[in-house]
Parts: sequence; structure tokens; C-alpha cells
Amino acid sequence: MAKPVKDKETQLREQQEAETRRRQYRTNQEETRKKLKHARFEESEPVEDTDGKAQVHLPRKRFYRQRAHSNPFSDHRLEYPRSPEDMKWEKLYPQYHDKDSDSMLSKVEIADIGCGYGGLLTKLAPEYPSTLILGMEIRVQVTQYVEDRIIALREKHKDDEVNFQNISVLRGNAMKFLPNFFQKGQLSKMFFCFPDPHFKQRKHKARIITNTLLSEYAYVLREGGVVYTITDVEDLHIWMAKHLEEHPMFERLDKAWEEQDKCVSIMYNATEEGQKVTRNKGSKWIACFRRLPTPEDCD
Amino acid sequence: MKHPFQLLLANSKGTHLFVSVKNHLQVYDLSNGNVVGSWSDTVDISVPSKKQEKKVASVEELKGDKKLKNNDAKPVAVAKTPVPIQGATPIYNYIRSLNLSKDEKYLVGTTDSDKAAVIFEVDLANSENCLKIIKRQIFPKRPCAVSIGDDSDLIVADKFGDVYATTIDSEPPVDEKALTPILGHVSMLSDVKFTRFNGKKFILTGDRDEHIRITNYPKAYVVKNWLFGHHEFVSTLHIPSYDPSLLISGGGDDYLCLWKWYDNKLLAKIELRDLIAPYLTEAHMPAERFLKPDSVKEISITKILTHSVDDKKILLVLCENTNCILTFEIAGDFSVKHLQTFVTKDSIIDICLEETSGRVFASIDREEGDLVELYDLGPDGQLSVASTNMGTKITEGNHCQVESRQNFYPLYYINTLRKRSEH
Repeated sequence: MAKPVKDKETQLREQQEAETRRRQYRTNQEETRKKLKHARFEESEPVEDTDGKAQVHLPRKRFYRQRAHSNPFSDHRLEYPRSPEDMKWEKLYPQYHDKDSDSMLSKVEIADIGCGYGGLLTKLAPEYPSTLILGMEIRVQVTQYVEDRIIALREKHKDDEVNFQNISVLRGNAMKFLPNFFQKGQLSKMFFCFPDPHFKQRKHKARIITNTLLSEYAYVLREGGVVYTITDVEDLHIWMAKHLEEHPMFERLDKAWEEQDKCVSIMYNATEEGQKVTRNKGSKWIACFRRLPTPEDCD
Repeated sequence: MKHPFQLLLANSKGTHLFVSVKNHLQVYDLSNGNVVGSWSDTVDISVPSKKQEKKVASVEELKGDKKLKNNDAKPVAVAKTPVPIQGATPIYNYIRSLNLSKDEKYLVGTTDSDKAAVIFEVDLANSENCLKIIKRQIFPKRPCAVSIGDDSDLIVADKFGDVYATTIDSEPPVDEKALTPILGHVSMLSDVKFTRFNGKKFILTGDRDEHIRITNYPKAYVVKNWLFGHHEFVSTLHIPSYDPSLLISGGGDDYLCLWKWYDNKLLAKIELRDLIAPYLTEAHMPAERFLKPDSVKEISITKILTHSVDDKKILLVLCENTNCILTFEIAGDFSVKHLQTFVTKDSIIDICLEETSGRVFASIDREEGDLVELYDLGPDGQLSVASTNMGTKITEGNHCQVESRQNFYPLYYINTLRKRSEH
């Protein structure tokens, strides 16, 4: 504990200055984001870039940090489409939009729920080059970071084979509004990487895997689609596996399957959270489940 | 001064009317206006339950322990007791919903006091009291709507967004901790409907977001689809008995939605704003802290009813805290035409319809005079005041005295479902 002791006022002042710097950085980034016509699905007119190209650098994470928790029950002012048909996907994946027919050439098939800083998205992009991949994140600043990261990657790799046009992110509450984005059976993979453990008993409904929410995931997943979960909290792993196992629409995939699946290894190594756990020499628990066919007597 | 009636429910033959006033239930014989059944919820909410007392005690103990072990005792244990903050909405000891089973042998009410569904056997032959309580099932969270299936399935939706299925019987109630929800929304539920279609069973749920969800039953883990059409909260779901393929939904929007729910098809939006505007008052403005320069008077739907009379399909709509009932005709092509705005003197709290004769009962928010009014729905879809003194008789049977309006339980709370968040 060799840290020099600072008086409270100095501490407070430093904190405020740091926050001002972070805010300033994010404001500048927002300007860049707007200039680059990057996709947001509200109907704002893109700002035309008049004085040449905006400078694009990979964003710096430390300016976007936000506490790791968000209350999924609160009425955040979220933007979400009235229905999946109203979703303007072309704003998120402009290169997959066919202007002549005004339709998307592809639909989102992979969703990373609570995508955090987007590590998984960027690693999945080259693995599934012809599949649209979406990250959903509830924290505003973290979402902005991922947006800026994708802008920078697209710009940097615009002439490369892997150009990151197939990944995107949006701020959303997947627990409340997933069916507003995705049609029945639209997804083939859903990732739940290092979700908020919500340790307290009375907060358990806030967990991203509950028996009631699993029915909604089963709705947006197609038959044979896969739910991936990974966590460094053993209790949460047991909880998630238990609820998925109990749910009649899911069946567990075994160790052999996990070992041959490339997403499992990406998930294990790619996410920021996963790398942090590795650095801290923590354990990671994985459980994957296949979505079973809809019972014949159900619609 | 008498406390107004909060909920009204007539049986299908129109022989009896079930009502609630505060924590009391009453049954009126509509042939003579006599009270033939009654029940009062005696759970006293001002006295903390044993469970709560125990909790407080254990926290005290915990606090003590903490101090022994650790000198810089942070108030960790204290914060865990859910003590209502000052200005928190008080809990009222009242009946939030009232439903009859299809065979009308059972009546189910839900209480806010102990978060229970109270199941009664209705024995109209019993001259002393036709209501006999057979079960009081407590739920983990406050139930807000119930729907009864035809196999005595009792479907209960709660304010936490969960739906439970239990049965109407006289078996001892299940411990609420042992109950598991069959489906859930991550939003407060406002209404639930059990229905059959094409020989299959479904549960329809509406929530405080703008979602209406259709779920298979009993395999409630299979979602059929969502109906997207509302922008504000959904408060009421109505399936006409003359055509169970239809659904009419309403809530905080300026319109109702008419659906072919099974086909996921929005047939019509029924605009109400222009029709109801003359009957909206200052009470329909948002509370001051939510007031914005562009705020308008807000419409919330209390009740949607339908009636089929001589091939004419009539729709009745009550908007919260208004003194009128809007009637419409739903044509064969599902176009909807406004027929009448039936106006009475004071605000209407609740309406119900007795389908055999097309008689409408309305409970009225007034300090003097009849607390129930009766109207006849003619074959032309026009409402008119019924020539009967039954309203006066029913009012006489209400013995719930209060000192002033200030002692009324909240009569209009649907608009509180509206979302105001800014962050």
C-alpha cells in the first residue's frame, strides 16, 4: 500500500477532471460517428462529410468505462423497432442492403446478448463472413465504444477480405425487447458471455437466463440453433445449466461437441471479460444447448 | 357517504350481480335487489405479518452480530429490510379483479393485501350466503389479473410479469415458494386471457410495455407469437364470445387494436381521441412532475366489452375517469363505425354487460345518489337508461361508509402504468 495519500478534495477534483476528459473524448467520437453515416436505427439524416475524411482511430476503452451493472427492469429510454418488420437493418449493415429492391440481402442470424466491448463480435466476423452478427448491450457508453470500434475496423479494413461489414451493435434490453428485433426462428446462435451474476436471491429474475426468458430465446432461435453460455462464476454456471436443462425446448450439448465447435474456443479466448479471467487465473465454465423442435401440438 | 363500487360483474343469465367495495364482496339478486352473498377480506395490512416481524427481528440480531465481529459496521443488514420509503404508494386492502368460471359455479377475486387469489363456490340456492370461500392461494407477487380455463385451470398474472397456473378446487393452498411460473414477461402484466382456438388452448398476456404475447397452453414454454400494434402500455384484452378468433386490445394509446390474433393480423385501429376529447378533464393531464410543454390529456382504457345483437356486433368502451361509454359497430369486413357516446352525470368507475338481455351496469363515482346505473343496449346499438329502480336498491345494499372523498380507495389507477422514464 505505497499509494500516496491524497486529501478528499484533491481526489474529488481529479475524479471530476478525469470524467470531463472522458466525456470530451466521447463527444469528439460522437462527431466522428455521425460524419461516418454510421448506422443507428433512428431516422436521423446522416451528416455529410464536407471537409474530407474524418480521422478514424480505434477507440480507447478507458474513455467509455461504465459500471458493470444495469437494471433490466427499469424503463430506460431505449430505441427499438415497433416490430421486427419495422427494424431498419440497412442502417446497421449498409453493405448488405440492396438499394434497388430496398431489402436486406441477409438477416441477422447470430446474436451476442450483452456483448460488452465487442471482442466476440470482432472474432466471429471473419469466421462467418456471409452471416450477419449483432451485439446487444444495455450500457450506453459501452455500446458507443463498440460502435466506434466497428467504424474504425470497417475503415481500416475496407479493402480487405474481412471488412467487418457483417458485424454491428445496438443498445437494447434483450430481456424486454428481443421479439421486437427478431422474427420467430430467425437466429441460429445466441451467445451469453459473462453475464451479470446478480448474486442476491431476490435479484435472480434479473438474470439473463431464467426459465421464463428461455421460452423467448427458444422463440427467436430456429430448431437446431445453439445457446452458448460462459461465465467465471460457478454458481451462475450451475444456475444457467440447470435452467436450460430443465427447459423442454433445450438439450445440453456434450463435451465432445464443445471441443469440436469453433465458437466455443473463440468464446473461451476472445472476449475482454474472458481474457481478464485468464489474466487473473480464474476458471471459466461453459454450457451449450441445442434448441429442440417445436412440439407438434403447438403453434 | 358511501364508498362507490369498484368492480361489477353480472352472471350470464343476468340473475345476479357480483360487486366489490373496498375489501368487501357482495352478491345482489337482480330480481329484488337483495344482498344474497357477502364476504369481507379481514387480512389487516396495518399489522405486519408474522413473516415481516420475524424479518425485522432477525435483522436486529444480524446488526448486533456485525458489531461484534466488525467495528466499522456498514449498514449492510439494515438496507436489506424492505421498509416502504416515505411517500411510497400505500397498499390498499381491496379486491383488484373479479372473475366467474365458465360454468359460473366459482368466483375468483384477487387481493392486494396478501397477494392472494380467493376462490369461492357460488351456491345461489343457499339463502344465507351464496359465497363460500374454498381456497385462498397466496402468490409470491401481487396478482393483477386472472383468467379461468374450462378445465378449472386458474391462470394468474402478477405485477412481476409472471403467470402461474393453479386449479380451482378445495385442496389446501400450495406454499407460494413452491409455485413456479409457467411463463413470464420482463414487465408488469396488466391482463391475461385463457382461450381456445382450433381445438388448442392459448394464453394471451398484455404488459406495461406495449407487448401482447400469445403462448401455447399447457405447453406454455412455446411462444406462438407477439402482437405488435401498441405504442403505450396495454391494460385490457377482450375476446368477444361471439367470435373467439378476434381480440380487441386497449391501454394507453389513443386507439384500440382489433386483431385476428391467431393469424397475427391487425384488422383495424379504432381511433378514440376525437371522440373522447370533450370528456377528458384536467385530471387526465400528467402529474406536474411529468408535465412537458407538449403534454396532452391522456387516455387510458378501463374496459372493453362486446355484444352480439341481431347479427349486429356492438363494441363498448370505457375510458378511465370519464362520464361516458363509447359504442361502435364492428362490421362484417371489420371496419368499425362509431354509434353513440352515451353520457351520464358523473365519472364511471367500471361497467359490465349481461349478455342475455344486453343490459349494462355502471358503477358511478358520486357522493350522493345511485352508485349503480343500469342501461339497456338496444338492437340499434344505442344505450338508454333502463326503467328500473334496481340501481337505487343496489346502492341501499352498500353499507360501506366513509367520511369524505378523501377516504375513497384509488378508483382510477390505470394511467399510472404509463412510462415516464427519461434515462
